[in-house]
Amino acid sequence: MSLYAPGDTWVHRLDPITKLLMAGVGIVLTFLLPSLQGGAALLAVLLLVLGTAGVLHRAVPVYVGVAVIGVTFVVVQGLVNPANVHPLARLGPVVLYREGLLVGLRLALRLYDILSATLILVLVTNPSDLVESLVRRGASPRFGYVMMAVLQIIPTMVASTATITDAQRSRGMETEGRLWVRLRAFVPLMGPLVTGSLIATEERALALEVRGFAGNRRPTFLKEERMPGYAAAVRLLSLAVLLLGVAGRWLLGW
Amino acid sequence: MQPQMPVGSLAVAVAAVREDGASRMHAPEGYPARCGSERREVEGIRGGARGVAVGSKGSPWALRFTTLTVVLIPVAVGINYVGKLFAAALKLPLWLDSIGTVLAGMLAGPWVGAISGAVNNAIFGITADPISFWYLITSIAIGLVVGYLAFTGWISSFGRAVVLGLIVGAVAAVVSTPINVILWEGQTGNVWGDALYTALVGSGWPIWLASFLDEVVVDIPDKLATVIVSFLIFKALPERLVGLFGGARGEVASL
Repeated sequence: MSLYAPGDTWVHRLDPITKLLMAGVGIVLTFLLPSLQGGAALLAVLLLVLGTAGVLHRAVPVYVGVAVIGVTFVVVQGLVNPANVHPLARLGPVVLYREGLLVGLRLALRLYDILSATLILVLVTNPSDLVESLVRRGASPRFGYVMMAVLQIIPTMVASTATITDAQRSRGMETEGRLWVRLRAFVPLMGPLVTGSLIATEERALALEVRGFAGNRRPTFLKEERMPGYAAAVRLLSLAVLLLGVAGRWLLGW
Repeated sequence: MQPQMPVGSLAVAVAAVREDGASRMHAPEGYPARCGSERREVEGIRGGARGVAVGSKGSPWALRFTTLTVVLIPVAVGINYVGKLFAAALKLPLWLDSIGTVLAGMLAGPWVGAISGAVNNAIFGITADPISFWYLITSIAIGLVVGYLAFTGWISSFGRAVVLGLIVGAVAAVVSTPINVILWEGQTGNVWGDALYTALVGSGWPIWLASFLDEVVVDIPDKLATVIVSFLIFKALPERLVGLFGGARGEVASL
């Protein structure tokens, strides 16, 4: 369910908070540099980070997945952006304009910049490490439980979907055919799953209560947090890149 | 007593430990009259977190943060995810990915609904779908609106649930539109919606209005179906489960 894959590169070894900062800087810069040059330069930097983390091949499926949306941006803005003046290409009655194409390209770049910045965190950080780091820095342990529990519950629920589907099919439920037939199948599939998981919440709540979940004491941690020596340098560098972006916007108009 | 619950002695023990001054509260209206020992068990579980009382049906905004409602949140996110899976498996032209958020609102009120929505988009944002993070506010709005309206009688009949679905769709569209305008000049990335957007902007409509209609075309059918499905499931839930979370049953017999 998570895109994270373990590894041992300089990015993997960083603590989650530093990676959160890197992703945050990337997203802030996405909106700070609205121009084509700015967006492209930022994408190059982000791809460099992803490349040195050895996860580019894992980012490709994500990039391909949103490619359709990127193409839609370019086409739609090329056709109808209010700023359109100069026709660029004609296909019968359809005219693509230069201004709109540039707007569409910028939007597509923005999409890929946001994605790449987030992937710096997502591809190389174990979600549960991230949550633990946040709890360590003062987030509520209940919040920690909720986030971790989601990651554990989803695979369990997905496993039970197969069972429920088979059971309902064996009782004669149609899952193929006209739209109305398929729509009608949705409730008998979801109903048992919802009821079952709600009944399980009661047992889970009991189990947690018995272990002192409702207490207000701060929990201690099983694992030590590992901070590599260069983490502080990376944080400073991220902030330097942010300043560089501000300067680029100011001086070059990117 | 439902047979699938191996609680009994364990829960009584919990309840007994909590006798010493942990806050007690009334079972809300609609909690079915059962044998005394089971009532005590459930009160033991519910009185847990920080002694926040379970709101009786007084205010929809009463905080219902007990261990049970905290555990409900990840389950709601799981239900969202599985709803999306089933919709894809049945090749439905809808997402149906907020059934859990809607149910959490119906079961435990607007706050729990809102948190379920927020956690949903935050989790998928950091694990599988970075773009979903930006629509966190939309999910929060859905949870709040459903929670509030469910507790003020808008799921008492099928007709009212349909109206609730339309309201939720409208709210989702209103909240998503500014996000779409800020991020993508108002496009949604959904083919049907964007086709409408193209036609409208092409004939001179303002971007924000075209963007709103783009979102409406996508959101109203989806949220209407989501709320109707959630309503049907909610009505079919065992009374005992709904009572656990202090749920919003319209026509319950008081104790």
